[in-house]
Amino acid sequence: MTGLTLAIPSKGRLEEETREVFANAGVKIDRAGGARSYFGTAEGLPDLAVRFMPAGEIARELVRGSVELGVTGTDLIEEATEASQDVVLPAHPLGFGKADVVVAVPEPWIDVTRMADLADVAADFRSRHHRWLRIATKYGNLTRRFFARHGMIEYRIVESTGATEAAPAAGTADLIVDITTTGSTLAANALRVLEDGLILKSEAHLFVSRRASWGAENRAQLDQLLARLGWAVSGLPGGSD
Amino acid sequence: MANPPATAQERRDALSGIVEAEGFFRVNPPFLLDINPYFELAGEEFGRSLLTTLASDGAEYCLRPEFTIPIVAQYVRQGLVGNSAAYSYMGPVFRQAGDGPTEYVQAGVEFLGQADGDRALDEALTFARRMLAVYGVEAPRIRLGGVALFEAILAGSDMPDVWRPRIRARFGHPDAMARLLDRLAEVHNGANGAGEPVDVAAVSATVSEQMQAGGFNPDSGRSAREIAERYAEKQALAAAHVPLATIELLRRYLAIEDRAPAALEAVEQLTRGGNFESAGPLVALRKHLAMLRAVLPQATVSFEASFSPRLDYYTGIVFQMLSPGGAVLASGGQYDRLLQRLGASQPVTAAGCAVWIDRLEEELLL
Repeated sequence: MTGLTLAIPSKGRLEEETREVFANAGVKIDRAGGARSYFGTAEGLPDLAVRFMPAGEIARELVRGSVELGVTGTDLIEEATEASQDVVLPAHPLGFGKADVVVAVPEPWIDVTRMADLADVAADFRSRHHRWLRIATKYGNLTRRFFARHGMIEYRIVESTGATEAAPAAGTADLIVDITTTGSTLAANALRVLEDGLILKSEAHLFVSRRASWGAENRAQLDQLLARLGWAVSGLPGGSD
Repeated sequence: MANPPATAQERRDALSGIVEAEGFFRVNPPFLLDINPYFELAGEEFGRSLLTTLASDGAEYCLRPEFTIPIVAQYVRQGLVGNSAAYSYMGPVFRQAGDGPTEYVQAGVEFLGQADGDRALDEALTFARRMLAVYGVEAPRIRLGGVALFEAILAGSDMPDVWRPRIRARFGHPDAMARLLDRLAEVHNGANGAGEPVDVAAVSATVSEQMQAGGFNPDSGRSAREIAERYAEKQALAAAHVPLATIELLRRYLAIEDRAPAALEAVEQLTRGGNFESAGPLVALRKHLAMLRAVLPQATVSFEASFSPRLDYYTGIVFQMLSPGGAVLASGGQYDRLLQRLGASQPVTAAGCAVWIDRLEEELLL
């Protein structure tokens, strides 16, 4: 119960940019053991435990409340919980990791331009092909929620952890739900985003877990961190506001 | 029956008495079930509420999420199609809920292959009423929905045939239905929808080239021909307007939601003079309504035209019994299309209901 934990993405661009944004804001994060260490420190904040973790795991730990603070993407938070407003607070946008989660179909599907078309195709896909329409994605929960809103139920999700955009050409799925920044990867795989196929716009944020315990001490420590960073945040858990 | 039994054990004994009454064959399907029938019948939407587990060879199983499908599948497997059967059950079911995996107790009945499907539905309603009575619930709110009635109105509405399955597929999902009807109405405001007739062969050839260029396997999934045909159909659909009067009729029908006698009267007025075979479904609804009034005089019974489960195997009439706070205590109906979907070689009538025992227990605490 002593002290806050701040979870930071453990590798790649996300780690670099997180450390850069924090350093520019006045909090330098060190990873003493280098890229193989899971623990770090924040300069001038000796009580803050810094842990390096995969971004998806950070989202799940924030949702569970087992870390108080974490840097991850909106997409991963929304995938981890349906009730994000109740569970986490997006305390500060970090200006990187911007991407869209979208529904993309093969370019040659000239008859499918909107979700309503896809719902029609899905409705009689099984009688034509003796199997369900298959959607490759690592965003199973986001996909199910978005498709349910569009009244589409006749499909199956194929869990995909890498190279999702190659699934339609490989024949393991008919279409995909995936993240895109410039759209070039989709285009290179002859995939096209549906006109109303934007599921959400994602960006890296510093998230505060509402499910963690927020006694006076933790809250004071959080206030101190935010003051050092110069980030004004309203609606924080615990304390009096 | 005004006062419910004081202890949970006494209540459970009273419930068991109803479940094990003469005429019912009590069954106890396994806890561990093949997951595929659930995805086959109900898709991802129901699939997300399953508690799943994997065999070492990767085959997927789930913990029993409800009783109907294992009971019906067993009936088909045992070659009982053609015989009438009345099954009852009570036991735990497992679902993913908002706050994690949850175990509930469900009790219910399944009437399969009964000669009189309407009588079977009455028996299911009676079962639900008796279970609720154990908890002193004498004045539930009851929602009735008419699947057969909607299908009759759709079949008798003036529109190009191509639109009927598309509209049917959205029944039970009010938002998707409203969007489709809006889209159909918009066409009337827009530019002339009738474009150049589509040369399916030429479009198919172009799509086929695109598929090759994109590296898509022409033998997996949608074929070039299928895409071209639906493209042509879409152009034709844009030209094949659903008359505004039909859209208006469907909107007015789907908006009907009232105490049952008034609502059914409104349906009758709306369909009067039309070419609808709605008389049969209306008679059936009125019969069940009269039965409910006789046995549950304090209940508030409403008919809601757009109320239906989002599953295409429901037929006839569907119902829910709700607490004053809006919790669904019992739900059921007729699902004559389920048996064939699970492999029966001929049509089999089916009706039943499921009662949520935990929610009834919670009602006592309020």
